[in-house]
Amino acid sequence: MIDRRLLTNIDWMLAGMVIVVCLLGILNIYSATTTYKIVATPYYIKQLYWLLAGMVIALAVCTLDYHILEDFSYWLYVFVVLLLVAVLVVGRRSMGATRWLNLGLFNFQPSELMKIVIIITFARFFNNFQTIGGLTIRDMLFPLTILAVPALLIMKQPDLGTAILVLLIALSMAVYRGLRWSTAVTFVLVTIPVAWLGWSHFLRPYQKNRILDFLNPERSRLGSGYHIIQSKIAVGSGGFIGKGFVKGTQSQLRFLPEQHTDFAFSVFAEEWGFIGCLVLILLYLSLVLWGLKIASRCNDRFGALLAIGVTAMLFWHIVINMGMVIGMFPVVGVPMPFFSYGGTSMITSMVGIGILQSISMRRFMF
Amino acid sequence: MKDDREKWARIRIVMIGAFFGLLFVIITGRAFYLQILQHEEMVKRADKQHQRIVPLTPARGAIMDRNGTPLAVSVEMDSCYGEPRHIQDVEGTAAVLAPLLGTPKNELVKKLSNGKGFVWLERRLTPEIALRVKNMKLRGIGFVKENKRFYPNVEIASHVLGFTGQDPNGLEGIELRYDSIILGNTGYLITERDNLGRDIAVKSTVIKNTSPGKNVILTLDKNIQYITERELAKAVTDSGAKNGMALVMESDTGRILAMANYPTFNPNSYSRYSQAELRNRIVADSFEPGSTFKVFLIAAALEEKIIKPADMFNCENGKYKVADCTIHDTHSYGRLTVSDVLKYSSNIGAAKIGFKLGDERLFRYLKSFGFGDRTGIDLPGESAGNLRDKRRWYGVDLANISFGQGVSTSAIQLVTAISAVANGGNLMKPYIVDRILDDSGQEVQKFEPQTVHRVISQDTAQQMARMMETVTTSGGTGMNAAVDGFRVAGKTGTAQKVDSVTRRYGAKRTASFVGFIPADKPKLTILVVVDEPKTSQYGGVVAAPAFRAIAQNTLAYLKVVPSGESNRQPRIVEAVNNQARANLALQQEAMSEGDALETPADGETTMPDFRGMSMRRVLQVMEKRNINIRLLGSGRAMEQSPPPGHKIRGVDEVWIKFTPSA
Repeated sequence: MIDRRLLTNIDWMLAGMVIVVCLLGILNIYSATTTYKIVATPYYIKQLYWLLAGMVIALAVCTLDYHILEDFSYWLYVFVVLLLVAVLVVGRRSMGATRWLNLGLFNFQPSELMKIVIIITFARFFNNFQTIGGLTIRDMLFPLTILAVPALLIMKQPDLGTAILVLLIALSMAVYRGLRWSTAVTFVLVTIPVAWLGWSHFLRPYQKNRILDFLNPERSRLGSGYHIIQSKIAVGSGGFIGKGFVKGTQSQLRFLPEQHTDFAFSVFAEEWGFIGCLVLILLYLSLVLWGLKIASRCNDRFGALLAIGVTAMLFWHIVINMGMVIGMFPVVGVPMPFFSYGGTSMITSMVGIGILQSISMRRFMF
Repeated sequence: MKDDREKWARIRIVMIGAFFGLLFVIITGRAFYLQILQHEEMVKRADKQHQRIVPLTPARGAIMDRNGTPLAVSVEMDSCYGEPRHIQDVEGTAAVLAPLLGTPKNELVKKLSNGKGFVWLERRLTPEIALRVKNMKLRGIGFVKENKRFYPNVEIASHVLGFTGQDPNGLEGIELRYDSIILGNTGYLITERDNLGRDIAVKSTVIKNTSPGKNVILTLDKNIQYITERELAKAVTDSGAKNGMALVMESDTGRILAMANYPTFNPNSYSRYSQAELRNRIVADSFEPGSTFKVFLIAAALEEKIIKPADMFNCENGKYKVADCTIHDTHSYGRLTVSDVLKYSSNIGAAKIGFKLGDERLFRYLKSFGFGDRTGIDLPGESAGNLRDKRRWYGVDLANISFGQGVSTSAIQLVTAISAVANGGNLMKPYIVDRILDDSGQEVQKFEPQTVHRVISQDTAQQMARMMETVTTSGGTGMNAAVDGFRVAGKTGTAQKVDSVTRRYGAKRTASFVGFIPADKPKLTILVVVDEPKTSQYGGVVAAPAFRAIAQNTLAYLKVVPSGESNRQPRIVEAVNNQARANLALQQEAMSEGDALETPADGETTMPDFRGMSMRRVLQVMEKRNINIRLLGSGRAMEQSPPPGHKIRGVDEVWIKFTPSA
């Protein structure tokens, strides 16, 4: 089933970088959870299982020729949109939001799947859309519609972080496809009233608070601004070389919120210092640039668009999470791919890596 | 066409890559800002969040006498604390601890369940109790070392030393005056707490240790202090007096060798005493000096060349009207020389000398002797005494002040002024701290004698000394102060006390004796003041014997060889007995150094074993044995030539090499 030549073309650079980040992540989760109450399976062991599962899935995805995705793309899109509707109807509520479908064995988050599906859908659309020059407003009407439906459904859950990510991924792909200047300017002009509308009608009070807290963290020191302040203190007190593995006072004494998931990078920055941050940032930057390289050397447009989409997905996750941890962005629940604890994030990211691998492996196949 | 599109696709990828890179750079910059530029600020905020700081008593440095004998020391003791979050069985723990700590059980329960991370249970436990609690190995009960002040000699020099409070700060005496030097840096017990002030299994308490304070070496000599206190106590109790003071000063330097108040107190439990009993009256109180003041009057008149020692004054047979008052003498005298006015302490004679001198000059000299101003001794709470400005001297005042009434002086002022007469005319600044050592014994600061100014000429001082000697000779008021084998210069004082109710002079007296010894080459100035004696009111009867006992024993201890001259005919038996008693007493009570160095019986001079001795001790032995040795280096004697036991006669080089001790 698998062409032998494919194996010789496996992109070891891509696989290597991902595995290094994952292992650093597991090490960091170990440190972040040493003070947690002992449970049957520690978080770092669970993360190791998720890593193995993710690798199996990535392997499975990369053996598939990505071109078949093109044929299934709209069906996939419709299927996931229906799942999103189902979430709103029969989804499991947790922490004030309805994001999960209970599938018996585990809880499943369709909005995560949407990140991948929007990439495939947009790749399919832009690949078949033949025009000369950049896209006009009129050209964008259809893609914006297929983007708006899931984005609004996700926002309704509410899950602002994921909605924004889906938008950013799709827009990144549109930029790669090429926009006319007039289109770009119109977007910016339209975004402002839309943002205002969103602020006044769609955002929940807690979401508004998060944005206000980001703009002024001292606004509520013990409220939601607390996350940002604590994270900044943890990162800042790490200094140049950090406090050492399992020696971070802020994380070990549990001053950090969600320190094994969304704020895992904060623990890392406290314990490994600026040096550690630099290493991790360089690893991620290499990964992202490598994704762009895969896109640019891909021989067909669909593949290139897919690669750009996956890379954009990884990039926005990384930048938003890091920005949040060091107080540059508001607190939105966006995990660090491969680094934060969490099965859903691991699987989604690994599917993305499988797609990238699939594209990279087949660059000589024509 | 297709190539063009591909080209644009590539350009856009590069642009996207550049954009991604830019955002990563911004994030890196932000991390740099937080972790490098704002590092310290963030660390401070972090520490504030997770550290609870408990201050610990620092170790105070020791206070020692000039020979290094400790007078006040800090002793490490265990303080017991609880960490409630580690204690599961609060009731049980409290039940076990209550009888040991002597705290009611419900009080302990309250302390241990207040939800704090740290709570003191009992501070400075006795070692036995601490050991018993430690052996129980209770969860959440811990110990830290804290320091407690301890005065090993109990009452000796208590008024000089002062004491410290429950917190480590000095409250009186040297402890107060040198508090900032003696007190070490406060240590801290740092406990870590988590977000909710609980649940710290990660790190237990960390202790930043206290750093010890510096040691203060006094000019005081414990042995002289002991002698002084013993003799003062005897004088006060024998005379049924209210209280007393005694002071021994080195005449030439102003160093205080002994400073005694009676009654004394125990600084280890100072809270049992009243404020009055704790006060060092020698510096803090002033009294009317009475006849001792005649010394300064006559010194001033001699210096101004108004009188000569042999000048005669008519003492009016004991009654002399001045203004609307009558001055009395104890005995009636006719004509007396100036010297005899002092010897017999004639008030009328003094008043006449005072009139001759005039208020302006008397006032100037008294000021110059230091009256009315603080001496600046390094003890807290000094009184300036009371010397009214001469513009406010009226009627009989000049006469009164001439024999020491209507003025007041502190004991330290009086001794300092008499020392000026003793040492040839220089007013010295009295001091009681000789040097300060750091905790490793290195000298940090050394205090040297300070001359304030010259008060009278050498000649005048010598004339005064000779006249003051007559006081202790046969017929003088201070005969009881005479010391066998030494010439003693001194003056008695018997001052009427102002009755606090009637505000007039009543029946109560302050009896005193002040003097210096040996009179020809003074080493010690000694003052004894007995307040409200009952058996006799005269300083010559009540205070002078204490002066003699202090002088005799101190000189013997200091190994000052009697000159053989004496103010009085030695009563052989008593003298021998006294000397023997003094020596015996000293051997028992005080010093032990160098007993092995006895002169060989044959009188032949052999080289003693000097090795290990201090240079001071070597010099003492040299003086005693009358041998002359070259001393090389400093520190402790390490090598000597010739070796111990060899004859010195006929040896060319007699030397001792000293090496600084580590």
